[in-house]
Amino acid sequence: MPTIYIDNKAFEVKAGKNLLEACLSLGLDLPYFCWHPAMGSVGACRQCAVKVFKDEEDTRGRIVMSCMESVKDGLRLSVNDKTATTFRSQVIEWLMTNHPHDCPVCDEGGCCHLQDVTVMTGHNYRRYEYKKRTYTNQYLGPLVNHEMNRCIQCYRCVRYYRDYAGGKDLNVFSAHNHVYFGREKDGVLQSPFSGNLVEVCPTGVFTDKTLKEHYTRKWDLTNAPAVCQHCSLGCNVIAGERYGQLRNIVNRYNSEVNGYFLCDKGRFGYEFVNSENRVTQPLIRKRQSEAVNRATLMQHMSTLLSGHTLIGIGSPRASLESNYALMDLVGKENFYQGIPDDLVYIEQKIVDILLSGAIHTPSLKEIEQADAVLILGEDIWNTAPVMALAVRQSVMKTAATHTTEQVAIPLWHDMAVRELVQDAKGFLANMTVTASPLDEISASTMRAAPDDLARLGFAIAHILNPSLPEVPDATDAVRTQAMNISRALQQAKHPVIITGTSCWNNALVRAAFDIAAALDLTEKRAGLAFVMQDCNSLGLAMMRSSSFEKAITSAERSSNVTAIILENDLYRSVPAGQADAFFSSCKNVVVLDTLHNRTTERADVLIPAATFAEADGTFVNNEARAQCSSQVFMPANSEVRESFKWLSEIRSLKTTAGNGHEKHPDEILQALESKFPQFKGISRSAPPHDFRFHGARIPRESHRYSGRTAMQANIDVSEPKPLQDDDSPLSYTMEGYRGPAPSPLIPFFWAPGWNSGQSVNKFQLETGGSLKGGEPGVRLAEQTGVTPVFSRDIPDAFTARQDKWLLLPQYHLFGSGELSVYTEGIASQSPAPYISLSRHDAERAGLKEGDIVTVKSDGKAYSLPLSIHGSLPDGIMLVPAGLRGMDSWSWGGWVNISTVKV
Amino acid sequence: MGRKLLFDKAHIEGIRYYDVYRANGGYGSAEKALKSMTPEQVLDEVKKSGLRGRGGAGFPTGMKWSFIAKPEGVPRYLVCNADESEPGTFKDRYLMEFIPHLLIEGLLISSYTLGCNSCYIYIRGEYAWIPDILEQAIAEAKKNGWLGKNIQGTGFDLEIYVQRGAGAYICGEETALIESLEGKRGNPRIKPPFPAVKGLWDCPTVVNNVETLATVVPILRIGGDEYAKYGTGKSTGTKLISACGNINKPGVYEIEMNISVEEFIYSDEYCGGIANGKRLKACIPGGSSVPILPANLLLKTAKGEQRMMTYESLADGGFATGTMLGSGGFIVLDEDQCIVKNTLTFARFYHHESCGQCSPCREGTGWMKRVLHNIEHGKGKMSDIDLLWDIQRKIEGNTICPLGDAAAWPVAAAIRHFRDEFEWHVLHPDEATKRNYGLAHYADPLEIAAPAAV
Repeated sequence: MPTIYIDNKAFEVKAGKNLLEACLSLGLDLPYFCWHPAMGSVGACRQCAVKVFKDEEDTRGRIVMSCMESVKDGLRLSVNDKTATTFRSQVIEWLMTNHPHDCPVCDEGGCCHLQDVTVMTGHNYRRYEYKKRTYTNQYLGPLVNHEMNRCIQCYRCVRYYRDYAGGKDLNVFSAHNHVYFGREKDGVLQSPFSGNLVEVCPTGVFTDKTLKEHYTRKWDLTNAPAVCQHCSLGCNVIAGERYGQLRNIVNRYNSEVNGYFLCDKGRFGYEFVNSENRVTQPLIRKRQSEAVNRATLMQHMSTLLSGHTLIGIGSPRASLESNYALMDLVGKENFYQGIPDDLVYIEQKIVDILLSGAIHTPSLKEIEQADAVLILGEDIWNTAPVMALAVRQSVMKTAATHTTEQVAIPLWHDMAVRELVQDAKGFLANMTVTASPLDEISASTMRAAPDDLARLGFAIAHILNPSLPEVPDATDAVRTQAMNISRALQQAKHPVIITGTSCWNNALVRAAFDIAAALDLTEKRAGLAFVMQDCNSLGLAMMRSSSFEKAITSAERSSNVTAIILENDLYRSVPAGQADAFFSSCKNVVVLDTLHNRTTERADVLIPAATFAEADGTFVNNEARAQCSSQVFMPANSEVRESFKWLSEIRSLKTTAGNGHEKHPDEILQALESKFPQFKGISRSAPPHDFRFHGARIPRESHRYSGRTAMQANIDVSEPKPLQDDDSPLSYTMEGYRGPAPSPLIPFFWAPGWNSGQSVNKFQLETGGSLKGGEPGVRLAEQTGVTPVFSRDIPDAFTARQDKWLLLPQYHLFGSGELSVYTEGIASQSPAPYISLSRHDAERAGLKEGDIVTVKSDGKAYSLPLSIHGSLPDGIMLVPAGLRGMDSWSWGGWVNISTVKV
Repeated sequence: MGRKLLFDKAHIEGIRYYDVYRANGGYGSAEKALKSMTPEQVLDEVKKSGLRGRGGAGFPTGMKWSFIAKPEGVPRYLVCNADESEPGTFKDRYLMEFIPHLLIEGLLISSYTLGCNSCYIYIRGEYAWIPDILEQAIAEAKKNGWLGKNIQGTGFDLEIYVQRGAGAYICGEETALIESLEGKRGNPRIKPPFPAVKGLWDCPTVVNNVETLATVVPILRIGGDEYAKYGTGKSTGTKLISACGNINKPGVYEIEMNISVEEFIYSDEYCGGIANGKRLKACIPGGSSVPILPANLLLKTAKGEQRMMTYESLADGGFATGTMLGSGGFIVLDEDQCIVKNTLTFARFYHHESCGQCSPCREGTGWMKRVLHNIEHGKGKMSDIDLLWDIQRKIEGNTICPLGDAAAWPVAAAIRHFRDEFEWHVLHPDEATKRNYGLAHYADPLEIAAPAAV
């Protein structure tokens, strides 16, 4: 490791870094704007100037931008040199010439990187005495607000939006001190990653519009580390609450998972917590007074438990604790996953593969670092957006690494690297049913039915390992493509294969496994990543319970069934006909859920459950990483409780041993762990509830929290007792341990002098590296070197049928998703329901765009307008999945068109 | 009469057209190069000639050409920088407008030397009528077998494309020019990689000024050694000077680099003296970005030697008492000119043309403009002069591209040599709006702080 001298003190630093990174990693305060750990340096803002000296004798030195200078052994620099500090404060003075003094009314005031840097450089007297330049702001859609006057022209927004995230509609316009960052004209930002602008912008140009709706100063928020609920990736987030409302979500850095960025669905899709549609009171239906209190509910529940056959329906979106509590209540044999048989089969396959230890499943960070990526069937842009962002980085970084190997330019030197790379790209093969925005960075694409995609996969596996069977009757086109892809995968050091469940096709999973396993045998570290459907799909699947169809059979066998449904709208999870059949064969239906939906309408007993923000819970993401999501706030309404608390209380009705002791979530995890060896180690995913620092808890509120004694004064002038959280080491106070918390328990990022999110660098071992103390979460599946068992079972080629179509779901980032559409800005970007056919199929059936088409699925007829899809293969019908109010259809089945209305 | 190499035939009627140009020995150099010389030999001649880049920096052309990377199978490009946008400079315009074939012949020889088969002329948008002239000349040359495939049966191919800029000064900076040529926003690139390795379309590229490329023609005609005999010392050959301001005969002059500044201003062959019988106050000899010099330092160096029209002599004394030959935009100011107003004009220009990429230039130029505007309009304070000095000091050397320096130098030099005039403006605001300061003694230049790094 090279030694550098900073103000005559020797420090060992990591080679290959720039001086800014080195200084920040050492914990020094050096201001910066345009540099970003995920995006590298461009040397535009000139804020990070330091003085560099030739040798020990050199006293004059020269000013350099620390972000543009590589670490060299023996290098001498000064951060505190007078010329350097004066220059840095001059830069701030320049930037402040036009920055409005509107901090008191700015959303970012008090947690603003520009404010921090201004204070840090010591600039305090304004010599500029002229008018400030002003701009017209733009409407950028319902999620991001634009206030251009505040801009300090650091170019981070366009670099993030265009270069990092691949967006096209945000750009820089005009010149000199009138450069403008915005769109060509007003309009909704097109990138689904636009919300990150809010955090990328060092000041208040781009702000969170949903926060603005119910604005709170960020230091007044009660924060807790949570896990995103909207897809299977389990991005780490920080959620903030005040006055019983969830106010915003910001990124929680986790170098292995989401890094610095979230997707818009994850960032803005939290409004369901505050929805008026929340279930707030226990209800017992078919009585005069349906709303009941807890005691009446428990009385009623005890009558439902005795002498009844209990059936528990679990949920892929409920925490492991809640699912296990239900299983504990109804018994393992009576616990079912609330998802269809076909999906259970595929998910079991995935669980088997992951738990077998035969293969390595990569984290998102490893996907970013992959040098060849094959996506087999999964539309990750819509089902796992942040993974699509990671794949984009892999494609871009691979090209950059290749070029910089030839020229001595470090990877962080963003502009130079971009000049070198130009349009070169790493290898990405995007093999999906329909076109995806990832296609434009793909070296190879294919549009085909899932079976054909799987056959392509098996063809690749055969080339990689000729002992595997050859795909019968493969076309030349498929052979060539398989040959090209296998060559690219073979040449890569860290190839990654991505597949998932959204095609409802198990052959894809098997084919992907065969490829990855075949690559592994050639001594590469191949990764196989799976995308699941919900935030805890893998956790539920790992409990290895039966499917919903089995639950129906079992319900039909008995006449006296009490079904307990946990946080699962069955009309969204299984075809409506099946849900109806199930409800009609149950005598009593007990539903625990957070929001009213069609399943809660069928409930005889409805119990209000807490959302993720009001609950502690553990979720297993797509890479089998168990992560703890902490309670952000206690619902003011004491009837709203975590499902596992309700279920434990109900369970205590059954046993005489119930002595009122509430189980802590970590105790439930310990029970889970002892019962199921596959969950071994899960209780380590977060410190136990009684973890303390010398008796002190970790406060959820910052020491700057205001109004504590006044905010309840309209109700009671006495300050209420702080809420007691017995389930975690976090407290509902401002007091407590202020030092570095264990990474799963970091409630927010703050460091002295660093009030904005940029303070995360104080929590990292090095800039852009892992958090001190390791990343949160425990991986439950690791490669053990077990010899893989190849699948070898190749499906027949897909053939379009006469008048019948293979029914497949189309997921929409904005729209598919039960919870996120409660955010108005997301709902407004959701498409209207449609039925999609290929152009050829539509012409053959004599259909035109917009014709109303009626399709029967599971005995129910649905009439929707036709949308002709240019890139869809023939023989497939695509229907959007999970839009608000839409039933789940029998995906993967065959349907026909019954009637057409023009 | 000074000897001429570029304009020797400029007076001939119809020299703009191919037939006349050819009849007067045009394309002779190209014929010689393509038919009887190897590219290495041509490069050798250019090196021997001592030709230095005429765009402003004065970097030896032969050396620049020898830096071009030659990877297998990768095309190389020659880009002709015709984005002549330095205020006070209009020599390339004359050359392109009246003797376009000289440039085309120069491009042909240079492309042959560098092994380029495509060549771009990036011309500033304000020269709206010149692209037509160039296109016509290119068409003529093509018709006569001097462009296109297999030129004159030598097997060498060359296409020349004319691309208009959109009027941004920054696009005259070579990397910003390349960006603009690629269809992007004209922001300068950070070097390395240098254009000679990765330039246009990611290929090795040489960017040269119009005059530089045209000069290759006479070099080949008379030979590099002979060319080097023109001029003085390392300032070999002739140089086009576009003279303007308060002189009797403004215009573009080809000078041999062996005459004195005094001769250039006062002789009848060139500027013909100061107009209206006024006295010389100051001069900016190399385009707006080079330091202004008061009359006493212009005609004689601080050492008392006569100042010559050469790269070295004009730079004698550094920034303290010297200036630069730059692009040859020779601006003369007489005793009636106001230095503050002149500096404001330049500051306004640089503010407007700053690309907005890095903070010092983007914010600093606008600030300087406003401060100067106040001083000029009788609203200045004494502290404003120090403020100006402070701002320009922090801009200089601390920006990504040289535009920051170009914006800082005129302000620095004006304060250094004409501080008394600034102070007078501040102290006599009412008078300053009515009359000019006139001549003054310029004996006490400011102490120069060490130039900032890089």
